[in-house]
This record gives sequence, structure tokens and C-alpha cells, in this order.
Amino acid sequence: MEILVCVKRVPDTAENEIEVNSDGTDIERDDLVYSVNEWDNYAVEEAIQIKDNVGGSVTVVSVGDEESEEVVRREMAMGADNGILLSDDAFEGSDGKGVASLLKAAVEKGKYDLILTGAQADDGAAQVGGMLAAMLDLPYASLVNKIEMIDDQKIKVGREIEGGNQEMNEIDLPCVLSIQTGINEPRYVGIRGIRKVASVEIPVHGAGDLGVAADSVGDAGAKVKRLDYFMPELGEGAEMLEGSTEEIVEKLIELLKAKGGLK
Amino acid sequence: MAQSIADRRDVDFVLHEQLEVAKLSEHEKFAEFNRKTMDLIVKEARNLAIKEILPTREIGDKEGTRFDSGKVTVPEAFHKVYDLFKEGEWVAMTEDPEWGGQGMPRSLALAAGDYFNGANYALMMYPGLTHGAGKLVEAFGTDQQKTLFLKKMYTGEWTGTMLLTEPEAGSDVGALTTSAVKNDDGTYSITGNKIFISAGEHDMAENIVHPVLARIEDAPEGTKGISLFLVPKFRVSDDGSLGEFNDVVCTGIEEKMGIHGNSTCSLSLGGKGGCVGTLLGEENKGMRAMFLMMNEARLLVGLQGFACATASYLNAVNYARERVQGKNLASFMDKNAPAVPIIQHPDVRRQLLTMKAYVEGMRSLLYYVAYCDDVVDTTDDENIKEKYHGLVEVLIPIAKGYVTDRAYDVCNMGMQVYGGYGYIKEYPQEQLVRDCRITMIYEGTNGIQAMDLLGRKLGMNEGRPVMDLMGEIQNIIAQAGEKAETKELGGKLEEALNKLGEVAMHMGTMAMSPKALDAFALAYPFMEVTGDVVMGWMLLWRAVIAARKMDNGAKKKDITFYAGQMKSAEFFIHNILPVTLGRMNAILAGNDAVNTISEDAFGGK
Repeated sequence: MEILVCVKRVPDTAENEIEVNSDGTDIERDDLVYSVNEWDNYAVEEAIQIKDNVGGSVTVVSVGDEESEEVVRREMAMGADNGILLSDDAFEGSDGKGVASLLKAAVEKGKYDLILTGAQADDGAAQVGGMLAAMLDLPYASLVNKIEMIDDQKIKVGREIEGGNQEMNEIDLPCVLSIQTGINEPRYVGIRGIRKVASVEIPVHGAGDLGVAADSVGDAGAKVKRLDYFMPELGEGAEMLEGSTEEIVEKLIELLKAKGGLK
Repeated sequence: MAQSIADRRDVDFVLHEQLEVAKLSEHEKFAEFNRKTMDLIVKEARNLAIKEILPTREIGDKEGTRFDSGKVTVPEAFHKVYDLFKEGEWVAMTEDPEWGGQGMPRSLALAAGDYFNGANYALMMYPGLTHGAGKLVEAFGTDQQKTLFLKKMYTGEWTGTMLLTEPEAGSDVGALTTSAVKNDDGTYSITGNKIFISAGEHDMAENIVHPVLARIEDAPEGTKGISLFLVPKFRVSDDGSLGEFNDVVCTGIEEKMGIHGNSTCSLSLGGKGGCVGTLLGEENKGMRAMFLMMNEARLLVGLQGFACATASYLNAVNYARERVQGKNLASFMDKNAPAVPIIQHPDVRRQLLTMKAYVEGMRSLLYYVAYCDDVVDTTDDENIKEKYHGLVEVLIPIAKGYVTDRAYDVCNMGMQVYGGYGYIKEYPQEQLVRDCRITMIYEGTNGIQAMDLLGRKLGMNEGRPVMDLMGEIQNIIAQAGEKAETKELGGKLEEALNKLGEVAMHMGTMAMSPKALDAFALAYPFMEVTGDVVMGWMLLWRAVIAARKMDNGAKKKDITFYAGQMKSAEFFIHNILPVTLGRMNAILAGNDAVNTISEDAFGGK
């Protein structure tokens, strides 16, 4: 099974205080700590497990600046066999469709049976997986939390649906799946894995290599433009409880009793 | 989200701006450890430490280890984390890949260890001791011993210990009585009782390998008659498979003030006559083996204490930013002034800055000592090798004795910043105080470290290592003199350094004179003032780099960090170093009350 996993380098929300910059066009990016997007990490783990079971290879691909190389390398240290970085000044400012079209070009340069993305990114809109499938004219399942191999023509995928219910589908290969967290327990990266990929050259493909017109992606090609970034004003009717955990719990119980929530 | 354990920027600063460890990759030995690889390793160590190990710190403290009929169980949560640690191959980061190590520079391994130990050092003692025991096998083992044991140890599949202490042989190792009798097949039957054996028995590995100090029949008295043996819990057959139980019986575990997650065992060897060991190294050369391992073990203990301090500091500073209590003193008269976060109160800031300065100075010192070892490993120049080896020798008592003392002080302040909450178990600070405390005692009490500095290190190679250390400090003072921002700080450190030179001469002379006992009564203050000057050196070194970087246009967040470096140096050199000068005067004055007071006059009879 040849598997491609699309990964993204994102500000690590567990490690940063995210602030909106002064002109409201973006978040403060100076000295943020970045990591691989959490959902993508689950997707890579799933791909590695499938490969371990049925053979084949796992390739990770990322659209981003040269710094994104670190997350590609990290996922290779985790166990992916190959990495590709799609990077070009022309890609900067791509909207979801731009990113999906770049990934489509990367998919078409290889031959993959299964293409995985994360269900969404910490800083994204959960749109790339679906768009990529549509552009490639491949079947697609979103929010996948279970994958079972049937044969080399089709697989069974589970999706988490409303109310904690589970849905199972049979889907033809090749296909695109967007992976939900919790589908597995991603492994940690150990030293041996890191040493293994320490001096691996990760190929970088620009617009020319991908055969993508520079003005169809990036800022130039973006049809969705971000207008503003701001923290919404605090509305009425909310009360922030302060104090130690115990104090907060005590106040909360008092409030619940007073308003009739607890009898 | 606020950081925990160790400030990421500070770790990177020491590795890449102060010590420039990535340059080590220019040498063939560390060729694969380029900057990117190093960053990835530190990041993944932090990831594992914060996500998996840190949550087990409190569990380890509350559940502790349990003893029942010879068996010891660790908290359930330890098993998973220990397995992850093994799988990531973090047990033998710096060792030879041929035996399951990862061949990393020590300075880099120390950065990873900073996070691991800060997350739960009681747990980290299991792999830490395993690594140390493995080193003994690597250094002194026969090919067969290495083949049977080493890889299993370096990969963490089996764990290791160190059996040294006995009820009547603590600091005085030479008094031990565990005996070894040679058998016809060349093995030895071991009989004796050992106490205070960290990780001596537990349920995380199928075998435990004990290096044991014992005395062969008719061996000379004292340390000259001690030999080292390899004694596994289960015997190991020639094909590597586990054989019968080797009569190493755990008779109990200690209830301790801290590090509850680590089992501190009493072990009875050969109680039924069935404990067999093999000689590790040569007969009667056991102490020599101990000495070879001592520097590394003491640096690790320094790191353990320090790890508590850095974790306590980050907790304290984050708490002080959030805890709202009392008005800002500047608006004390204003009835309507709001309560403010306690980080605005001057005395809280004093404590935080004291903690910050020590944590930074100690981090630099510990990484530097490891870095000196890396230099020794990567240079072909015998003079450089000798110089850096000497620096390690002279700095080890500081990196253990001084660092763990100050680390404990920092943990204490970290508790104080929390106020009453610092004293209760709902918050992490009191555990860090308790866990930290043992680092001042084991692996040679800090009093012994001070005696080591005065008795062995000061006069070593005709004082060459001490001279080299002073030369390195002078070098940074000279660099500080080149910039207006650091010139005054450099001048003050120079004053202290010159005085320390005077004190060292005085102490060296006194130790060789009939007043040797008076010299040893001053060994501890001597270690403390030496440590203070070393802290001043590390902080000034940081400030020199920070000043340079700010001149060259730093990023916004970096400017805050560098300004913080300048303040640490300024605070330490202006507020703590003057006290050090006073203490040096006291040493020079040399009051001898410690030795002239009669034992009866201590009272209490």
C-alpha cells in the first residue's frame, strides 16, 4: 500500500500564548513554537501502522516555507519512509483551494493508493482534505476514526458521527481520508529514528516542479482573503469564576443550586 | 500556555549561543548531530517529558513504591512511561552504539536530561542507575560480561543499581564487610547485606544487575581490599537466557522524605548461600572503578537537584503572574486600587530573580561540565584534553555540592512564593523541596564534596586545573570589559576572582600545614565562595553574549530574553557577590572555633 500523508506545521497551542498582532491581520508569529498539526500526527501514525501490517511505504508531504522541513523530518523520524516539501515564494498566502491544488499536483507526481490528511489543523478550516479529493476525483471520507483493510481494491472506514454514534463504510481505493484524533495512539519519536533521518535530503518542489502556474496559487490565486483577526468582545450574561479550583467548584455548585440546576 | 520544567529559550541559549554545541558535529565522532538533529532531539525529549513523564511525578510521590514479601512494586503509571522511555532509546544517550547506546554528545544529553529529570527524577533514577551500572560493565567487563549484560542494560530491558553502602559503611566505604569467596569455576560466592540501594528491587524489568563492592577473603584492610562484582538478580546462562534466582533478597524498603517513586532497598546477598557473582575488573581494584565513574554520577546528582530547582522556578514565576493578592505597594494608600498579581510585589520579585539567576547559572555550569567532556572526546591535542579534563575535575564538587545546595534553596523559595499553598500537597512545590533534599546527601555528602575540592582538586597537578578555571573566568571578564553594558559587572567579578585566588592560596597552604584541621573546617565555605564566583562567571558570560546579540539586532521576544540575562547578571553580581567577598574575608581571617570547642561544650549531655 503506497500511502501519502499531508502534514502541516502549525503554532503549537500547548506551548504558546496566541495573540493577535497589532494590525489584526494575523497572529503574532515572532518566536512562536511550531509543531506538526496534531490531527496530521494521528494520520501519519495510522499510515505507519497500515504499512507495518500490509507492506508498502509512507510518504509525508507538507506545503509551507523552508521551516516546514522540520515537521516532515520529524514525521520521517517517527517512521515515514519519504518526505516531500512543497515550497516556493509563490505559494505564500495560499487559501485552502490553493493548498489543495498544490497537494493535488504532488499526488499526481506519484502513485498512491491512499491519501490521508488530518481532519483539520489548529490554524485551519478543515477544508483541504475534501477539496483535494474532489480535485483528484477520488472518493472521500471525513472524520475517520477506524480503518480496516479488505483487499488492495477497497477498505472499510469508520466515521464518528453525531451523538457518539459510529458509521462504517466501504470505500474504493485510491481514496482520500481525513483522520480524526483518537484513531490510534501516535508513537513518540525516539533518538534512533531521529538519527536515521539526520542527514536525509528532503526534496523541495516549487511551482515549476509541480507544473503549477505561480499565479494560480498563493496570494495571487487566493479567492478567499482574510479580512480581520480579533478577539470577540465579551458578551453579557457570562460570569467568570476566579480562585483556586476548590473555590471555583464551590461557587459553581452554589450558582447551580441558586438557579435551580441542582436540587 | 505557560512552560513547565525548563525554559525552552534558556535551554537553547546555553546549547547554541553559550556553548555552541552544534560545532561538535564538525568532529567525526558527532558528525550526525548537526543543529537540526540536536533541536529535534531536545524537542522530542521535552515532548515525552511534559506529556508522559511529568504527570507521573505526583503519582509517584503519593502512591510510592510498595514492599510485600521480597517483592517491590512501583506505581502502575510508571510502567507505561518507562516502556516509552526505553522505546525511545533514551537510556544510554551518550554511549557506544555498538552496545545499544546512541553516541550523543554529553552536553546534548544533559539538555534532554534536564527535561526528563525535571519531569520526575525519582522515576528517572531507574534508567539513570542502569546507565551508570552499564558504564561499569563497559569499562571493566570482560567480553563475555559485556555480551551477556551490556546491551540489555543500555536498552533498559534490564535495569542496574550500585551496591555500595552497608549499615556500618556509608561515607567510609572501606569499612564494608560483604565477602566474596572464589569458587572453582572462577565465579565468587557473595555474602553480605547492603542498604540504601536505589532501584534495588522493582517490577519494571525482568532482571536487575547489581555491581557489588565486596571484599575477597584475606584482602587488605580498607579501600585497598575492595573488589567489584557483577551480581544479577537472576543468573544469566551463557546463551543469554535467564536462569535461577541468584539469592539477592530484598528485605525491605525505606520510608523517605522524598523521591517516593524510587525504591530504596535493603538487599541480603547470599543469605541461603546461593548468590554468585563474577569479578568486574581486577581483584582489589573496586575503588578505582568507583572513582572512574564518580564524576559522571556526581554530575547526574547535580542535575537531579537542579532539575527540581528549574521546575520549581517555572512553577513559581507562573504562579506569581496569576495569583492576585494585595495592592501594588505604590498605590497602597489608594482605597480603590485593585489587587494585583503578586509578581508586582518587590519581595516576590526578589525571590523570583534570585531563583532565576541561580537556575540560569546552574544550568550553564552543568551543561558546561558535560561540554568539557565532549571537548575531551573530540580533540587530538593532548594539552587541550588535559586542560578540559582538569576543568571537569575541579568543577565536579561545585556541580554536585554547590549546585544541590543552591537548588534546595531555590526549591525553598519556590515554595515561599506560593505562600500557604506552597506548603500543601495540592501544589507541586513542597514535593520538589522534599525530592531535592536527598541530592545534598547521596553520592558523597556535600561536606565530602567540599573536602574533595580542598583536599584533592585544589592541589591536583600542581594547581593547574584551578589555574585553568581562573583563566577561563578571566577570559570572560576580559570580554565583558570590551562593552559598556558589561564592563562594570566584569570589574566586580574580577575583584571577587582575585580574592578567590588569594583564598585558594591560603587554603592550599593551610591544608598542608599543621593547621590542616582548620583548613577542613573551612572547606565548606571555600566550596561555597568558589561556587559563587563560578555562578558569577556563568551569568557574566551569558550577559556578554546577550549584550552582543542585542547590538546586532535581535527579534522582539529575544530582546526580552536577553534583557533578562543582563538582569540576572546584574542582580547576582551586585547583590550576592558582595556577600561572597565578606565570606572570603572570614575564610582569610580563619577563626578556629570549630576545632577548639571541646566536644563536651556542644552541650546536651
